[in-house]
Amino acid sequence: MPHGVIDSPAMTSDEQLLLSRAAAGDAGALEGLMGRYSARVYRLAYGITRNQADAEEIVQDVFLQLVLKGAGFEGRSAVGSWIYRVTTNVALNKRRGKRREVETPLDDCLPTFKADGHREGPRALLVADWSQRPDAELLSGEARQILDEAIDRLPEHYRAVLILRDVEELSNEEVADIVGDSVSAVKTRLHRARMALRELLTRRLGAEAR
Amino acid sequence: MTCRDLIDVLDDYLDGRLERDEVAALERHLAECEACRAYLATYRKTRSLGARAGRVEMPDEMKTRLRRFLRERVG
Ligand SMILES: [Zn+2]
Repeated sequence: MPHGVIDSPAMTSDEQLLLSRAAAGDAGALEGLMGRYSARVYRLAYGITRNQADAEEIVQDVFLQLVLKGAGFEGRSAVGSWIYRVTTNVALNKRRGKRREVETPLDDCLPTFKADGHREGPRALLVADWSQRPDAELLSGEARQILDEAIDRLPEHYRAVLILRDVEELSNEEVADIVGDSVSAVKTRLHRARMALRELLTRRLGAEAR
Repeated sequence: MTCRDLIDVLDDYLDGRLERDEVAALERHLAECEACRAYLATYRKTRSLGARAGRVEMPDEMKTRLRRFLRERVG
């Protein structure tokens, strides 16, 4: 079960102190904030944009906003979810209008069914199971490239929920709060994203699996 | 339960959110459907691979530039 990073208890006085010192330009406090939050901002920014230069601009933008907002936060959980929310918004805005041609309409990557509700399609593909291949192998070399290409093909708002849920390990409820959608909309989007990713991987990796 | 029904509730199944009778129905279908067994296995693997691929680290030079960026603008 996800552990819900942003469900921490109310802000400690040390967090408040860090924020107000950072707002005043205290180098140690800026360092403290970076240590606490930069990794997750970068993962999310890169995960949505899939581009290092864009991710860097987003990280800078979000941190500047965080520091300028200073002590205006009411709790640590407020900072945690604020960080995720602002990063998601900034990243999605940056990608708007830059949408790459490679993005596949997801409908082509969802499972199809016969009238009786059973799977339809070439049997070899339906039963292809590459899941026994070790992670180390799938996360390197050609398989890694296939994985990266598949992730690139997802629409960015699908990548956003995938990162928040599967990488940041937030709950569906927390993700819904961050992206400003209902829990059921988030669950649907996640499921479609995972199905599409699974399909793209199976088309490329499945043939070798049997 | 059909393949469509099974795939619809896959996330809830993997997260342990299904009722006991739903789990039983799903596992009965799995026992007799090779396509759904493959689907479940590859779906679960996709989830964990996506999570691992997403754990990227911010490059050190980028941290240095962020530090400089903030110091120039704050205080
Ligand atoms: Zn089936």
